[in-house]
Amino acid sequence: MWSYVLRRLGQALLVLFVAFTATFFLLHYLPGDSVIARYGSPQLGLSSAEVAEIRASIGADQPVWTQFWLALTGFLTGDLGFSTQTGASVSSMLAAALPATAALTLTSFLLAVVLAFTIAFTSTFSPFAWLRRVTRALPPLFISIPVFWLAIVLIQVFSFQLGLVPVIGASDLQALILPSLAISVPIAAPLAQILVSSIDEVRSQPFVSVVRAKGASNNWLLWRNVLGNALLPALTIAGLLFGELIAGAVVTETIFGRSGIGRMTEQAVANRDMPVLQAIVVLSAATFVLINLIVDLLYPVLDPRLRKKVRA
Amino acid sequence: MSLRREFVLSQYRPVSAVMAYVPLPLGRCGRTAIAPCLPANIVDAGRIVIWGTPSQRKGCRPASQSFDEPVLVILLNIITQAANAHVQTAVSMPVLHITSQSFRVETVNQYVHPMSPSHLRPGHPRRDSSHHFRLGATALAASLALAACGGGDVGAEGDPETGGTLTYLEHQPYDTLYPPAAGFYPNGAVINNIADRLLWQDPETLELHPWIATELPEVNEDATEFTFTIREGVTYSDGTELTAENVVKNFDLYGRGDSERTLSVSEAINNYDHGEVIDENTVRFHFDEPAPGFAQATSTINSGLLSDETLDHTQEDFGPGNATTIIGSGPFVVAEEELGTEYTLEAREDYDWAPEEHHHQGPALIDAVNVIVTPEDSVRIGSLVSGQADVARQIEAQDEEQLEESEAEIEAYGTKSVNNGFNFRIGHPILEDLETRQAIIHAVDREAVLESLFTDSYPLATSPLASDALGYSDQSEHYEYDPDRAIELLEEAGWEEGPDGIRERDGERLHLTVNEAHPQPRSAELVTVVAQQLREVGIELELLSGDRAQQNEEAQDPELVQIFHSMVGRADYDVIKSQYHSENRNVLLNGYEDEVTDPELESLLEDIASLPDEADRVVASEQAQEYLAENAYVLPFFEEPQVYGVQPHVLGFETESVARPSFYAVSLDD
Amino acid sequence: MSSVATVLTRSRKSQTGMSLLRPSVLLAFGALLVSVSWALAPGLFTSYDPIANVGPSLQAPSAEHLFGTDSTGRDVLSRVIHGARETLTGALMAVAVGFLVGTAMGVLSGSSHRSVDEVLMRIVDVLLAIPSLLLSLSVIILLGYGTVNVAIAVGITSIAAFARLARSQVVQVSRSDFVEAAYGSGGSFGTVLWRHILPNSLTPVLALAALQFGSAILQISTLGFLGYGAPPPTPEWGLMIAESRDFVATAWWLTTLPGLVLVITVLATNRLSYAIQARRNA
Repeated sequence: MWSYVLRRLGQALLVLFVAFTATFFLLHYLPGDSVIARYGSPQLGLSSAEVAEIRASIGADQPVWTQFWLALTGFLTGDLGFSTQTGASVSSMLAAALPATAALTLTSFLLAVVLAFTIAFTSTFSPFAWLRRVTRALPPLFISIPVFWLAIVLIQVFSFQLGLVPVIGASDLQALILPSLAISVPIAAPLAQILVSSIDEVRSQPFVSVVRAKGASNNWLLWRNVLGNALLPALTIAGLLFGELIAGAVVTETIFGRSGIGRMTEQAVANRDMPVLQAIVVLSAATFVLINLIVDLLYPVLDPRLRKKVRA
Repeated sequence: MSLRREFVLSQYRPVSAVMAYVPLPLGRCGRTAIAPCLPANIVDAGRIVIWGTPSQRKGCRPASQSFDEPVLVILLNIITQAANAHVQTAVSMPVLHITSQSFRVETVNQYVHPMSPSHLRPGHPRRDSSHHFRLGATALAASLALAACGGGDVGAEGDPETGGTLTYLEHQPYDTLYPPAAGFYPNGAVINNIADRLLWQDPETLELHPWIATELPEVNEDATEFTFTIREGVTYSDGTELTAENVVKNFDLYGRGDSERTLSVSEAINNYDHGEVIDENTVRFHFDEPAPGFAQATSTINSGLLSDETLDHTQEDFGPGNATTIIGSGPFVVAEEELGTEYTLEAREDYDWAPEEHHHQGPALIDAVNVIVTPEDSVRIGSLVSGQADVARQIEAQDEEQLEESEAEIEAYGTKSVNNGFNFRIGHPILEDLETRQAIIHAVDREAVLESLFTDSYPLATSPLASDALGYSDQSEHYEYDPDRAIELLEEAGWEEGPDGIRERDGERLHLTVNEAHPQPRSAELVTVVAQQLREVGIELELLSGDRAQQNEEAQDPELVQIFHSMVGRADYDVIKSQYHSENRNVLLNGYEDEVTDPELESLLEDIASLPDEADRVVASEQAQEYLAENAYVLPFFEEPQVYGVQPHVLGFETESVARPSFYAVSLDD
Repeated sequence: MSSVATVLTRSRKSQTGMSLLRPSVLLAFGALLVSVSWALAPGLFTSYDPIANVGPSLQAPSAEHLFGTDSTGRDVLSRVIHGARETLTGALMAVAVGFLVGTAMGVLSGSSHRSVDEVLMRIVDVLLAIPSLLLSLSVIILLGYGTVNVAIAVGITSIAAFARLARSQVVQVSRSDFVEAAYGSGGSFGTVLWRHILPNSLTPVLALAALQFGSAILQISTLGFLGYGAPPPTPEWGLMIAESRDFVATAWWLTTLPGLVLVITVLATNRLSYAIQARRNA
């Protein structure tokens, strides 16, 4: 068991390191550099010599390997560097942006789970055939709608037309409603599909008719079997959906004018703000790796068959 | 007087909105008084707003809270009469809407642009047309007083409402608060409200008035020495005093820059040598060469005065995230900032040094302004329409209709500067010859472009300069749409039609690339429409793709970008030099890699910025415009306005001379 | 859409009873047929130029312009029809990149020595760990703008999903009795892989490809929204929706109608994906 845990930890660290290195070189060779993005605008009126000086002052003129080494050692010692665009320390920028994004992504994920359960239950247990059919068609529809478009339509309808939720001057809670709804829709779809298929699978098992015959209710069946069946794939997906949550945050934070990691990412890309991008990649890679590590370690706990295999 | 009055309508495009003050005589009705002058805000082709706002210009008494219809009718007639009599254009007639402090008049077909009647009569520019309003207004003064009395309860309640927080929507986050480099419009909402200047430029008349300087400067004969007397008792928001030494420190930085801190020289200040403290309240600035534009330069946000400590900031310290550390002496201070999304301006209670000429004195009327960055146009407009915000900047042309149907008003302010247009890179092999450049200009139907993409807030350009800019001269003869002439010129230049309809010369395709001017309205769509038109005559125009960082970099390379789309805002003769001179923005890339393609243009531009006599500067500016037009160096499209959407309960919203927002006199009427 | 891979592997048994002849599948086929024929011969369906001004701007749908006109007076239906080529080829290329590279990696990983497997799977982990949107933005900035590069950028982000699915299929099939039998009867590694393992592993991968096709269209449109899509005036569906989002409140047809076409196409490919999956299990 412990050797398994250690091996997974080692893999996780390796993945982090490779992600860091790959991103560093990818970003380094992007055309258009941060110094020009920040100082090249003609209205600043800086001469090319002055721009070169700035470049030297932030160390952007050093050989790439030196820069890589400095960035790596910096990250290892917790120094994420300074944003070329704003001059602020990257760690303080992250600290300021993280809570909002964490709140947004967590709410979205929870909402997605609720949506998925609603869809799955309605599509299996609704007494109306038409309702079952309609809800079954929802997941494919959900993953066919662009998030940005959905977000804009949601604002138009719920905020501007119906006046239910303000976008400007909203309370923290109000400000979460529409953006998390927009993000949760495409994420709810795969979760709902897993639940639906798990329910189908369980219901097609011969033992179901037996327990039913013995008078078990639908609820009992579900809790015992469906959830157990669906939990593992759902967990796997939760780990994988992280990337989509980030993408959703980039889009919705821009549309709703929220501050957060997503907005920061978009602006950092536009300004070629390498230290910020590097930190965002490491942060999200670390979160991703961590979630997956937890999921992997939970597998054996949840599934006795796997436990045995791990021990072997 | 009849409500239905038809006037001859001008066949020319109406132009952007400007405040026109309609002075009325002081009439008394019982215990209350009618304001001696009322501002009329001519919003757009659809509407006129006449504001009965609290304490308008200097000398005005507070206006009444509500008006009776007769008063309104008369006010309208004053405007129409004034317009009819003196500017030869008029409004046709109105349906009235009265809200508590303002009345709105709808279905007015045409309106007068009091600042630039030259639009209405091309070739006959008249500079000070607000004057004409005054004449027309006084003629009807007596009847107004009568009508007002007859109205009964027309009366003033006294002081304007104070307090409250204004929600202001900005399009992009600001990028720097170092005043000399703060031309980007989102920076203006901060600097214009937190920093005072030595002089104040009246946004309508463009005249200069004292502000932190108690008098207009004394200038020596060749405009190389400017002496200012500094107002006493002015303090920065950190409590330090605004002294003569501090003023000198400001201009020594702005005029010379600091290359060690990579802080640039203000493009508004030319030939600066040094500042000198003469005595406690007197400073003198010395220049190497004549610097006639300096007095105006001290009134722009690029010369916003900052505290000693702030002046020691580095380039990064002026950047985003540090707004609360930028200390000015203005009516507002930055109280809170959320990087890239939001900041709050708080009014200073002890502010008491507004320009004497300004209609409002003392501290700002509102408590705070909440500035929120909403990059999505649809969200910005929707928030305004649904009443979630009070004022929004950058209302795109396509959204004006939506605003018109709502409560909110559209207020377009001219930037009175170099027009939005295409600048040809004159050193590039294709654009080297005059015929090709002229052909491009004649192949573009600018009116059709404006018709399909813009509204009446965007007047057709008639020169490289806007018609309400200082030194404007009409060059419209050079910008006529004539596709046949364009084809002729192209053939003369040796461009033969190729197999796919795009012309070629010696195997070279007539292919040009233009950048997307990200801050300018609908740049990509404008390029799309122009490209459609140019294809008709065999010219291929491509829109440079790429985000801002990439465009900034590539736009400096004539191999990648042959046509540069841009504009620049500053209300002085010098602005034309700022845009075209090789040492400033150099949009023509005249002087790329140390090789000046056209030295004649350079010397014309230098004249504008160095001739000490104003009359000579006017002539120099006219010559430069003519030169740019004759040589087909630029294709101006429209006089770029700043378009704001303003809720009717927001009173007293104003802009400085090139349309940056001022919250100083704003009050909220609940 | 890496998550869909997992759905596919897990949801096989649920889709029994579906057949390629169900009406919804036929409808999906029909919808795809229409968009493919738009892409192949747009001239047959519209006479308007997709990038030229053909009438007044922002006209609501009418008999003359079924989808109305856009902000620069172009016929929206014509842009949708001509845009089918851009959109479908873009999505196709994106899927091709992900499918070819990902499947190759997965098959190699699942059928090779453990060390190779380990290295390849860690690469896949890294690809998954870097946020896909950031990855595709960086690739676009690196390669330059344009339909092909956007497609490649989107394709790269789907490599991981294909690789994981292909690997798990190969591993599963390799363990089955008939593969053992094939080895037992003297088949070499190559022939067994080619004759037995691949054909039996690929159906879920193909189903993922169909799903990925729809998701690629969406991803491309999101990139267009962020300003990194195909350069205007290219008539590309995602870009059309992204460009006209400012008109949501004033000119509904600008986003809604191309949006509807996009959603129908994506739905159709998704439907087919499930049908492929179901047929295999039936």
